[in-house]
Amino acid sequence: MSNHIETTLEPNAETGDTETGDAVIAATANDGASEMEPNMADFADNPADGAAAATSAEEEGGHSEIPEAATTSADKEQDEDFTEDGRADDALDFVVDVLGKMGMDCTVDLMENGPNEPDSDVRIEISGEDSNRIIGRKGQTLSALQFLTNRVVNRPPLDRRHVLIDADGYRQRREGALSQMAKKLGKQAVSEHKVITFEPMSAQDRRIVHLALAKFPGVVTKSEGRGASRRVQILPVDED
Amino acid sequence: MSSQTLLELVEIIAKALVDDPESVQVDAVGSGRHPRIELSVAQDDIGKVIGKDGRTAQSMRVLLNAAASKLDGGRAYLDIVD
Repeated sequence: MSNHIETTLEPNAETGDTETGDAVIAATANDGASEMEPNMADFADNPADGAAAATSAEEEGGHSEIPEAATTSADKEQDEDFTEDGRADDALDFVVDVLGKMGMDCTVDLMENGPNEPDSDVRIEISGEDSNRIIGRKGQTLSALQFLTNRVVNRPPLDRRHVLIDADGYRQRREGALSQMAKKLGKQAVSEHKVITFEPMSAQDRRIVHLALAKFPGVVTKSEGRGASRRVQILPVDED
Repeated sequence: MSSQTLLELVEIIAKALVDDPESVQVDAVGSGRHPRIELSVAQDDIGKVIGKDGRTAQSMRVLLNAAASKLDGGRAYLDIVD
């Protein structure tokens, strides 16, 4: 009944150019084969792993800078039913140590959580000269850093605390762009009555797509595949 | 010198991941622009540096390459040995 198209968001995914930082989602789906880039997400497996897996270690291009130590400033507020257990500082220390050793010129800050964010989340913001380098191609360096920091901070007996790391608002921008793209493709799924399949994405990214289309009329979303090849599909709902 | 920094990077990360940081060892094998770094950890900690589907090891490689790229535009390789 419905035919099937593959969608890719990133036009030059494999060109290995120097583009880091934002551009990832910038390309829009044009007709024919369009494509979406990142790695997986789902309500089911999302809460467990906040970080996106980098599926391949690619070099990134770019300018070079003189290594500088990362600097730090921390402030974190507490709430009634949540007590800071020191892991926010552990996460911050780890990030500062790693980026410092990597010779990255940047500052690293612990941010306060917003009103709709769990108090147990640990938010870390990186900014500075080397932000794009820290973000990496398709955000993979930032994702790797976030993944490792989550591993370091979340040891078995303790409740999980999500560590979210952003650099110069990259994730935030990307989230907005991904969400918009999802809605655009949702429209397409309805108008062309097609199943639209994304590239494999991280749990975090899949979740953004699911949320963006949760209330979108005429489509449902689901994730298919396992592990690193898990991908979101947008399915038009049959009305007649 | 440059590979020393990369060794230290791997060491910092590995020590933070494992239960037995004392047993973490890193060695540079070969020389030149593209060093191979061998990481060994206590037997019980191997899973912690590899991770499910090798994701932890893969993430270390991504950071290692970002560091190598920043350092001299080169690459570096990570092996986990037991």
